[in-house]
Amino acid sequence: MENFSIPSSTYIPRIDFNSETNILEIEGESYHEYTVEFFKPVFEWLENYLGDPGKEITFNFRMTYFNTSSSRRFLEILNMLEEYQNEMDGNVTINWFYEENDVDMLESGEEYEEDVELDFNLIPYTN
Amino acid sequence: MEHLTDSLSVKELKDILVKNSISLAMQGTFSQDVMMLIQAKINKLPNQKIISKKIFALVIEMAQNIHHYSDNRVFSEKYGKDIGVGILTISENETKYIITSGNYVSAEDAKEINSRFKYLNKLNDEELKELYKKYRKQPQRENKPGANLGFIDMRRKSGNPLDYEIQTDENSKSFFILSVKVNKEL
Repeated sequence: MENFSIPSSTYIPRIDFNSETNILEIEGESYHEYTVEFFKPVFEWLENYLGDPGKEITFNFRMTYFNTSSSRRFLEILNMLEEYQNEMDGNVTINWFYEENDVDMLESGEEYEEDVELDFNLIPYTN
Repeated sequence: MEHLTDSLSVKELKDILVKNSISLAMQGTFSQDVMMLIQAKINKLPNQKIISKKIFALVIEMAQNIHHYSDNRVFSEKYGKDIGVGILTISENETKYIITSGNYVSAEDAKEINSRFKYLNKLNDEELKELYKKYRKQPQRENKPGANLGFIDMRRKSGNPLDYEIQTDENSKSFFILSVKVNKEL
């Protein structure tokens, strides 16, 4: 299947979903005013992609900022991945990257980790 | 020199801004492009990056509340629909940055605001976190583009109680003022 990508802009993240390497990445800032509309093609691609069982998927979040509306979309993505792991014989690893001193971004990662049963790595980076 | 008819009001506005240590004030609609400019301005504030990020997060949630829920709406060519109008300021005192928004709200929203904020202001960090996670799991509400998480997020990012007030104007319309503080020293 085709890969999926959206180039980053000032209020939308870079999205790169690679169906050959099974590495899915979302990076940057996300504060679109209408996230339901913005993420619609993202969910459509994921639904299609997760239709095939048995994949080993790495999902990388490298966010510097996201609004509360994007926060719910991310949980929805994680829930889809959790369901895939449980029901489609998949194996999903989440890498949550945060800038070393960004306590709020670290906490965001921890809160997602508590809400889904997936391998979750919280990884600090220095800028 | 040509007489400037509006020079007096600009001077008055400037005096108000200076008197209240307001470094940024915007009135009108808040599009994503405007947010970009505000972000650049916030990044120039003399403080730690993490505080700038908090201020920006608060500004975004407040501006998007105005965009979606202000009861005073104007048609936008860009969005092809009516979007909310309001005012947003960033000011400071010795110890805190203060982000304040003002917008008209519906009578229905005005009724809810008092109990909602009283409740949020009572909760401790752990309770706020649990409430945030509980709301986030709920499905998207019909005809509401937001996640219903903004006020909880503001309360958490601020680390201070949320100050709010509803003023009723001469036409019995409710004007909602929200003031959120961020400590300069974390």
